[in-house]
Order: sequence, then structure tokens, then C-alpha cells
Amino acid sequence: MNHEEQLIRYAANQLNESERADFEKHMAGCASCQADLTLWQSLANEVIASDSAVPAPVHLADSALEAIHAPSKLTRAYKSTAQLLRMQLLLMHNELWIGSAALMFIFLAMALLVARVEVLHFFVPMIAAGTVTLIYGAEHDPAAELTFATPISPWKILLARLTLVSAYNVFLALCATAGLLLILPPQALGELLLGWLAPMTFLSALALLLSLWIGTSNALFISYTLWAAQYLALTSVGEWFAFLTPWLESYRQFWNDPALLFIFGFALVLSALWSAGREQVQWRRSIAM
Amino acid sequence: MPTANLALPWQTQTVMTKPAEDLDLIRRMQAGDDDAVRDLYALYGQRLYAYALRLTNDPATAEDVTQNTLVTAWHTARTFRGEGRLIAWLLGIVHHTAMKALRGDTRYLDDVAEEIVSEDQQSPEEQAQVKDERRWVRQGIQSLSPEHRAVLDLIFYQGLSLNEAAQVLNIPVGTVKSRLSYARDHLRGVLARTEER
Repeated sequence: MNHEEQLIRYAANQLNESERADFEKHMAGCASCQADLTLWQSLANEVIASDSAVPAPVHLADSALEAIHAPSKLTRAYKSTAQLLRMQLLLMHNELWIGSAALMFIFLAMALLVARVEVLHFFVPMIAAGTVTLIYGAEHDPAAELTFATPISPWKILLARLTLVSAYNVFLALCATAGLLLILPPQALGELLLGWLAPMTFLSALALLLSLWIGTSNALFISYTLWAAQYLALTSVGEWFAFLTPWLESYRQFWNDPALLFIFGFALVLSALWSAGREQVQWRRSIAM
Repeated sequence: MPTANLALPWQTQTVMTKPAEDLDLIRRMQAGDDDAVRDLYALYGQRLYAYALRLTNDPATAEDVTQNTLVTAWHTARTFRGEGRLIAWLLGIVHHTAMKALRGDTRYLDDVAEEIVSEDQQSPEEQAQVKDERRWVRQGIQSLSPEHRAVLDLIFYQGLSLNEAAQVLNIPVGTVKSRLSYARDHLRGVLARTEER
């Protein structure tokens, strides 16, 4: 017989009548069990007394029900994101959407007329880069004061606008690609679209970051020059520039390497988001002056 | 032989639930009946909160733990198959939730808790008044780790058998017994020290 277990069950009042009577008989002649029982009963009494002395708060069932019926974090996040996107859509220039669609249509028509896919390959990233330079900053925001006065972090505002414009640019690129069905077989389109996406991402990210740092016009000039530079054929200029040919070749390869373009594009977007906060500080300073 | 002269929660009329009542509560929660949560809390709230407080030693955390237990019970009502008692299942949730809360809380440290008993934190006058054994028992219990306090609470206040306590804590019955022995030895040590003073 394990006396310790019996002692615990005795102190916890868990023995049945016969077990209890038997154990009491044993204890009558066992000094060690009697001493231990006193200790177990002190413990039991204290645990019961202190637990019974603290009433459970009455409101917990109702607050649990509130938590049960509260929308999940995901739903809340989804709702606030949708609201932010809707708000930013209203604040952005309408000309941006119409202008880029019109340009895309013109270049698609050109591509179809001359039956050259390269026309679109050249202009799609440029249109995308052009639009992202117009999405942020006091220069372009008709309600900049309101924007900067809201408690939403500037990087979130920029990210929301970038998301809207990028989604629109991808949509336009998809439409243009669909238009190319007139001159290309359908199986070539997938590869073609992927070929545009990477340069479009990198060039847009670069233009966005530059626009935050040095303004829209400078950003457009630099990013367009960098984009167009890959089409240079320096050997045609003369023997003097022949040494640059390998460099130019590497440069061309960079623009044709989707993985690199996406990685650098992503890094540039992160820098742009970080810069958005600084932009706001500068804007506030200029208002104060 | 003297026995505890206090009303134990599982002996009072309000908590004497039958398995059928427990299953009914669970079915109502599965069906999305809000009142089932209120009824469950009316029946078991005191025990759940007391256990949470015993583990956390902090009323605010104990409230959070109890509330989260009800939320978890609501969402996982389907997993209760009625094999054991509902209270044991609920205490298991309290235990898991409280331990998770304690892991994120650095306030609890064994060594610090030990000091409550071993160091004099009161004035000599106060100490002179504190000859009460009950006070030392209380402090002895508080200076135990949550795992040891849990076992004492489950057996003596919640009225769980050793096997049920083992299930709640998800440990072997042997470990429940060794934790009880440890708690007893610890208290014996605390009391011996107070007698030496």
C-alpha cells in the first residue's frame, strides 16, 4: 500500500468510506503518517481557502463572447487595406490613368503597323516608369496637406499608390500583349510578357526612388537614359569606343536577367518606401519656411 | 481524524454537474449558442479563474487567461468527445494558455519567488506579528514553481484524481506524484526554517 498516495487522497477527501475507515485505522498507529497528514491538510486547507476567497470577475463570459464575435485580424487587415487603396485612388490624378492607357494604345498601334514586337518592349517599361514618378509628393498630390496630416505612415500611402499604379500598368501590359495576338502566335505571348515584367519592375522602382530624391523630371531623364543606353551600338561610332563593347554587353545582359532585375527592383522599392518618410519631413520643413 | 472544514467546489450544489449537462453545454457551444458560454462560466468560472490565478499569481493575467480559455473552448468545442470530465478538459486549456502567458512574461523567476520566503522583507514589528503558520504555508505555496502549484490546485481545490491531473498537465502520473512530494518537502523546509527563527 502506498501511504503517500493514500495520504494525499485522504487530505483531498477522495477516499470512499471503506478506504477511509481502513486508512484511519492504519494512521492511528503510524506517527509518521499522522505528521505527514498534518502537512498535507495545511496545504489542502490553504489552497482551498485562498482559491475560494477570490471571486471570479463577472464580466469574463461577456468579454469572451465579444472576442469570439469580433472580426478576425485578417478581416480587419483586409478592410483597412481596401479602405486605404480606395482613399488613395481618389487622391491620385485621373490623367495618370487616361494618359498611360492612351500611350499604351498608340505604341501598340505602332507595333502592329510595323509588325515589330520590339516597339512595345521598348515603350512598356517607359510608360510604367513614367506613371510611378507621378504618384507621390507635394508636387503631384492635390491634397498633399491632407495626406501628410493623416495618421497613416507615408510609406503605407506610397505603397498603396504604388500597388494601384503597378496593378494598372500590369493590366495595360496584359492588354497590349493581348493586342499582339494579331501579329504573333498565342504560345509566344507568355514569354513575351515575362520579358517585359522584369525590366518594367526595375525601371519603375528606379524612377520612383529618383522621383522622391530629385524630382519627377530628373528621375524621368535619368531612368529613360539608362533604359535607352542598352540600345546603343558604340562600335558604330568608331574604333575609339570599341573597348566599351564588353561593358555594354554586360549592361545589356543585366536588362535581360529577370532574377537580377526583380531583386534590385525590390531593393529600390524598399529604399523608396524608406525615403517616403524623409520626403514628408522635407515637405513639412518647406511649408514652415 | 480532522478533515478540511471548507466547502470544496466539487461538493457544492452549483458545481455538481452531470456528464449529460456537460455534453449539453458543449453541443450548445458547437451550435453557436452564446448563452452556453455564459452558463459554462456560471458553472465553472470560479474554478477556471482560481486555477489561472494560482498559475499566474497575477489577477490581470488570470483574467486574460480565463477569457482566452472560454474563447478557445468555443472554437474547439468539436474536439471534446466526452471521454473525460468537461472541467478537466477546460482546466487543460487554462493550463496551456497560462503557461503560454508565463513564457512571454519574464516577471516570474524561481529564484525571485524563493526570496519571498528566504529573505526578510518586512519590518521586525511585522515579523513579530507573523507567527501564523497559515501565512508561511501560503508563502511556501507561492514560492513553488507554477508546475508544482498546478498539481496542488488540481488535486486539492479542483478535486481531480491523480490520473485526471496527469491528463490536464499532459505528464505521467508518476510525475504528478513526484511533484506533490516535492511540494510537501518544500513546505516542510519552509516551516522548519520559520521554527528556527
